[in-house]
Amino acid sequence: MSARQPRFNQHLLIDTTPLPSSIPSVPEIGSSSAPLLSASYFIGARCKPYNDDFMQCKTDANGTGETDCLREGRKVTRCAASVLEDVNKSCLEEFRQHWSCLDDNNQQLWQCRRWERPLNKCVFEKLNIEKKIPGAPENEVQVHLRKRQIFAHSMTTQ
Amino acid sequence: MGVPFEAFIPYAIMLGMFGFSGAALSKLRAMQNGGKRARHSVDTWDRQMMDRDRRLTGFLRGQTDNVRAPAGFELSNPWRIERAFI
Repeated sequence: MSARQPRFNQHLLIDTTPLPSSIPSVPEIGSSSAPLLSASYFIGARCKPYNDDFMQCKTDANGTGETDCLREGRKVTRCAASVLEDVNKSCLEEFRQHWSCLDDNNQQLWQCRRWERPLNKCVFEKLNIEKKIPGAPENEVQVHLRKRQIFAHSMTTQ
Repeated sequence: MGVPFEAFIPYAIMLGMFGFSGAALSKLRAMQNGGKRARHSVDTWDRQMMDRDRRLTGFLRGQTDNVRAPAGFELSNPWRIERAFI
């Protein structure tokens, strides 16, 4: 019988060969989804040049980006790890309250503005990073600064 | 003329039964999700992030805010393959 195209994907193969030692190893980020979402705008504000470089490299690589853009990827990982470390050192309580709220609310940012405001204030004062939504129209108030969140479930948490 | 409170007893029973079932279902869902509310409208991005959370913490809804991943995390993402049939 001739071989056919593979179609199923239930079996898992874990390959434990490490990367060659010529590639410098950077420790992966250990935060899960809710803390990453909570810190995402701060990572974006501080790491914008590295992130843009990485995305440009992936777009230009035209398919081989996984192996060609490792250098830019290392810079992105290091920068994001530095932001997370700073947030953990200075604003840990507000950060934890915000991401616990996000985890309870289906990772929807508009349900948890009540805990986002003290976090933004603390990060702005201690780390001088401001959350700005890229691509928002300049003449309107940004959604995270509005008083009333129109899709929030309850008045107490928005 | 007093309020006919006996007429409201069936409504109270219905309300109580609905409330009890709702509370019980909500408690079951919370037990399945590690004490948190259930995720809804989960798309591929959310599924992929929840899989990463499971690789990081061991639970599908577990969360951690460590800066460094535990050892072996880089290697725990499996290739999804199919066994040869021939």
